[in-house]
Amino acid sequence: MDYHSLNAMLNLYGPNGEIQFEKDREAARQFFLQHVNQNTVFFHSLAEKLEYLIENEYYEKAVLDQYSFEFISSLYDRAYAKKFRFPTFLGAFKFYTSYTLKTFDGKRYLERYEDRVVMVGLALAQGDEKLATNLVDEIISGRFQPATPTFLNSGKKQRGELVSCFLLRIEDNMESIGRSINSALQLSKRGGGVAFALTNIREAGAPIKKIENQSSGIIPIMKLLEDSFSYANQLGARQGAGAVYLSAHHPDIMRFLDTKRENADEKIRIKTLSLGVVVPDIAFELAKNDEDMYLFSPYDVERVYGLPFSDISVTEKYREMVDDARIHKTKINAREFFQTLAEIQFESGYPYIMYEDTVNRANPIKGRVNMSNLCSEILQVNTPTTYTADLGYDVIGKDISCNLGSMNIAAAMDGDNLGQTVETAIRGLTAVSNMSHISSVPSIENGNDMSHAIGLGQMNLHGYLARERIFYGSDEGIDFTNIYFYTVVYHALRASNLIAIERGETFVGFEDSTYASGEYFDKYTDQQWVPATARVAELFETSGVHIPTQEDWSALKASIQEHGIYNQNLQAVPPTGSISYINYSTSSIHPVASKIEIRKEGKIGRVYYPAPFMTNDNLEYYQDAYEIGAEKVIDTYAAATQHVDQGLSLTLFFKDTATTRDINKAQIYAWRKGIKTIYYIRLRQLALEGTEVEGCVSCML
Amino acid sequence: MTEKLKLIDHVEAINWNRIQDDKDVEVWNRLVNNFWLPEKVPLSNDVQSWATLTPDEQQLTMRVFTGLTLLDTIQGTVGAVSLIPDALTPHEEAVYTNIAFMESVHAKSYSSIFSTLCSTREIDDAFRWSVENQNLQKKAKIIMEYYRGDDPLKRKVASTLLESFLFYSGFYLPMYWSSHAKLTNTADLIRLIIRDEAVHGYYIGYKFQRGLERVSEAKREELKDYTFSLLYELYENEVLYTQDLYDSVGLTEDVKKFLHYNANKALMNLGYEALFPKSTTDVNPAILSALSPNADENHDFFSGSGSSYVIGKAVVTEDEDWDF
Repeated sequence: MDYHSLNAMLNLYGPNGEIQFEKDREAARQFFLQHVNQNTVFFHSLAEKLEYLIENEYYEKAVLDQYSFEFISSLYDRAYAKKFRFPTFLGAFKFYTSYTLKTFDGKRYLERYEDRVVMVGLALAQGDEKLATNLVDEIISGRFQPATPTFLNSGKKQRGELVSCFLLRIEDNMESIGRSINSALQLSKRGGGVAFALTNIREAGAPIKKIENQSSGIIPIMKLLEDSFSYANQLGARQGAGAVYLSAHHPDIMRFLDTKRENADEKIRIKTLSLGVVVPDIAFELAKNDEDMYLFSPYDVERVYGLPFSDISVTEKYREMVDDARIHKTKINAREFFQTLAEIQFESGYPYIMYEDTVNRANPIKGRVNMSNLCSEILQVNTPTTYTADLGYDVIGKDISCNLGSMNIAAAMDGDNLGQTVETAIRGLTAVSNMSHISSVPSIENGNDMSHAIGLGQMNLHGYLARERIFYGSDEGIDFTNIYFYTVVYHALRASNLIAIERGETFVGFEDSTYASGEYFDKYTDQQWVPATARVAELFETSGVHIPTQEDWSALKASIQEHGIYNQNLQAVPPTGSISYINYSTSSIHPVASKIEIRKEGKIGRVYYPAPFMTNDNLEYYQDAYEIGAEKVIDTYAAATQHVDQGLSLTLFFKDTATTRDINKAQIYAWRKGIKTIYYIRLRQLALEGTEVEGCVSCML
Repeated sequence: MTEKLKLIDHVEAINWNRIQDDKDVEVWNRLVNNFWLPEKVPLSNDVQSWATLTPDEQQLTMRVFTGLTLLDTIQGTVGAVSLIPDALTPHEEAVYTNIAFMESVHAKSYSSIFSTLCSTREIDDAFRWSVENQNLQKKAKIIMEYYRGDDPLKRKVASTLLESFLFYSGFYLPMYWSSHAKLTNTADLIRLIIRDEAVHGYYIGYKFQRGLERVSEAKREELKDYTFSLLYELYENEVLYTQDLYDSVGLTEDVKKFLHYNANKALMNLGYEALFPKSTTDVNPAILSALSPNADENHDFFSGSGSSYVIGKAVVTEDEDWDF
């Protein structure tokens, strides 16, 4: 039987009603026998292979030239000695379709998994043998997994960028809008997703050069951006993707939401662009009082305050702006606004939500966070760019890029040194920041040079908890999440502090941060953080993972106040699609979407993935996200959020019996629990009884 | 058509607050929630994938879709409408109007696929083929005859067989492509159609069974004989049609298993036992799994819109929700 069919049998119950896990392992085996092994280019020796790959411009010569051949050879031996095998078909299939190096005609494979891992280690370590060895150890053991752009591109001669993610402001002038289109093209050509903030753009009907009713608002800009993203893709590796964020108090907000309506007119319908709404606390307060909610013209606000709309706290200035006759305003009912939000989320999954004031209260860096990104986990400050009349740069502002990588929680807890894993990951991610120079968008390059921001994420939380027979969202599950993230943030800061000491350099603006003032550390030095449940204490005990004490924190605080930290931002928990399959993880810190997940992607078609560590004996611990419900997911994320400086992609899952009110309630609950952003809303509709496919695992509750 | 236009004799204002059959409401709600338009699916993302198909494969795909267009056209303009006069409840009539409309949406969807992926000349060629292919035309003719006939239950049988059986020789191909990572957005759109057809076939079959309860034992026997002989007639023709289409790519045997599987499914919807033994219905698992009408697949923002989202039920929030 061919491997696709074997894999699909995972989704069909066996003769005794059991899930056929062995069919998937057989699919992985057959994939190698029937396909990979026959299509892999053979070399007699490593020397011959590397020579060929450099000669034919597959590998970057400069990467390998930083090391002796003896070292490179020993590193390959070290990687191969781990005897890595893909435990699932999807892991293997995904790696060979999307990551490995192929001949230029795309027909034959030039790398096995071990080769890719070694090349990533060599490229990121930039000649540092110890770091290269550590990176290979961490990656091949699955404890740390760099994000797709880094893992895909490192060491290759023909490649896209190593960075995943870009966030740019657009200001209220044609130069900025034009530059944004250009940036969208350039950045999606180089890979990763791009998000734009539209909050500063004047609304439809606003004056241009004081003449009323001239501006067309934000929708045409969204159209231009959407088309730009479709046009540019990264050597076909992945489709350009983009998001736009808008303040809830922008006058075009309802039009913005309506672009995702099922029956929207083609001229305004937005199909592939992702939407996000920035919601300040005041909106919740107005809804609580069932008041009207005023929307303010960005054009007027900028004239009155001398600042772009996105750099003003709406919550703080709300009453003042309402009373200011110079600012044009319209009003909608606040509760109706939230209900519309939920309706659109029902129909399309969008928009994402960023809780503006929660984010800014938790932000340790001076400045304002006014947008997020395509996966709603990046939360950093930015500053505007100004242009000269010939479209040149007047003042280059600070825009955001972020490179990501995630730890596999189960593998990290199993490993012998969690602190070492975090430190190696931070060094690997920092290397990506140092190696990235996006000169086509100077504000991005400038931002990266100033901040060296990175985002360390986590995945496989549900897999780990289920393996340890703990229910997701239970007291023990939340307790573990809290203490795990508490431990990680300590080591992340410690590593960044070490790098600052080694290089004698901090990120620009460190002295204005709450790290420098020491305020950031209050919650760790004033209070003891220990497991609340015996089970979690036992897990840390048996894993030999040390939980940082108040003394540890005081010492770290002193060192950071003296030497600073190298990275402006350290953590962000991405949704981890592809890499969690390769890494045999559950995605991010979500519950599984299904015991057997159906994965659909342009490049791989429809493939089935079993939840990690699941057997026919522990199925009860793999309740899916729809069964678990929004509240437990929010509680789990809230436990993690307090230890993460940026955001966490949080998807909420609802059964189709849910109403917009249920979604609104979850949004309110999330806001109250201090959640920073909400990513997708997912709905599951089950087949009408009598129309389902018989014996299908993912169809059953 | 020359015969006199048949309309309901008597119309009463439909009162949705007096429900005779809960199934009507359940299915109506499901259909309304499932409403969609082809513009929702980013078909243009399949343009590159389309280019990787061989000319034979492209031609096959287009022919399959023109065949489906014809069936959906019949079902939209004649089939579902012809069921209205026999409806047992006024709400059933309303459900048929919804079915009729969605069938027209489906028929138009194939045109969206065509205009996105192929040139006008290719499209015209494919439509010409559909007019000239005898087996396809015969299939249409058989069904049309029963829609014109005057036995309401026979019409329901024909309709159920169309919805649950005849479509599937066509649906096979996009499912096959998507399990091989080709035309995945097109497959999303087809899955939306399958989601609808699954409900349609189930509902009409259900109404047939309710109708059976009101007729004599002898009549029931007659209808059962009729159903199986119609299925045989359609099956024989369907095998020939399948050969016309799939012989060139060597998939005919696999498609036939899929036909058996769906013929059993259609019989099940009508309340009859399966005709084909299990040994001949072992459909390729990749196709079977791909068929699941549940909206449960996971996709990321780099992929298409998927077939998951539905129109939601709006409920206003109350003061207690905002109590913080």
